[in-house]
Amino acid sequence: MTEVELDELDHKIIELLAKDARESNRQIAAALGVTEGTTRTRIKRLQNERLIQFTVVTDLRAAGAPNLVMMGIHADPGRLPFLATELSRVEEINCVIVLLGRFNLLAMGLFTSIEQVNRVIRTRVLPLHGVRSVETSISVENFKYDARMARITPPVRPRGRGKAEPAEPEIVHKSSGRDKRRKSK
Amino acid sequence: MATRGIHATNTIGTLMKIRKGTAPAEELDAVDNSILEILRSDGRATNQDIAEKLSLSAATVSARIRRMEESKLMRVVAVADFAAHGYNILIAVGVKVFGRDASEVARELAKLPEVFSVHLMNGSHDLELLVGLREFSEISVFLRDHVARIPGVFELTPGIAADIVKFEFNVAPL
Repeated sequence: MTEVELDELDHKIIELLAKDARESNRQIAAALGVTEGTTRTRIKRLQNERLIQFTVVTDLRAAGAPNLVMMGIHADPGRLPFLATELSRVEEINCVIVLLGRFNLLAMGLFTSIEQVNRVIRTRVLPLHGVRSVETSISVENFKYDARMARITPPVRPRGRGKAEPAEPEIVHKSSGRDKRRKSK
Repeated sequence: MATRGIHATNTIGTLMKIRKGTAPAEELDAVDNSILEILRSDGRATNQDIAEKLSLSAATVSARIRRMEESKLMRVVAVADFAAHGYNILIAVGVKVFGRDASEVARELAKLPEVFSVHLMNGSHDLELLVGLREFSEISVFLRDHVARIPGVFELTPGIAADIVKFEFNVAPL
């Protein structure tokens, strides 16, 4: 497996940007004792390789103090790529993982009411062809969550906009997307 | 207008916030929301760029962003990919606890650096963990030597991520 190669400077830049992405290149450069040009190049590279992404994070309480809901989905193995893509399109679902072992798919979302959980599962998850069952569990307390880490994926676009609609066989290889990117270096 | 609408339909959320006594005091207006919209697509757009797009002054944009950040309504941050931290393997582990308070076990698990989320659950397992590891061989070492040794850990059900198709929470305690 090819590793992503990041040096000390990259990690320091990531650390600063994780605290405040609004810091200017000049401020970062000054803090790390490098030139503004170096900072700009490094950030651009990290972005281009999809190793960092800038996002607006809203406060949990301002978002209505939602609870994390985990949906363990048992599904037809042959339809997993299709189902993973379909689930990613559901706005209320924040995370979709193709899982080996416990379930076929693990979907997670932040919800403010049980009714909303039920509606999403009844109307968006269970009707999908290939879904056999959904095991739901609800988080009652969060002890740790590192919001600075995620999987940076290309945005899933709504259906019918050209190339964004992946043909089923194509996504079978999607898991190797990251490796492809690494090899290209 | 938009804020008003959200409030009317979000009474429960508001009540919860009041109960916890830490509701953000400030509200967002239309200008704030337009700024946020630009920041969502480009978090590092300069104040000048944003100002030009919205026909405002750069000073106004800067003040608005500072106000939103200081009142903890939002923050613009960089999110790094698991791979940037050297984590090539992600596992989701369900933990059953026996003979000990699950919260205590959760606190101990939260101390492990590989564990990046710990939730106390209502469902098939008492706790759910998301864990980042560097390589395949670390899975058994981690589960056997680090997790299984914590008193109260009774049963572990791990699942290995074959593909992470979506991962965008964009919400965190600020």
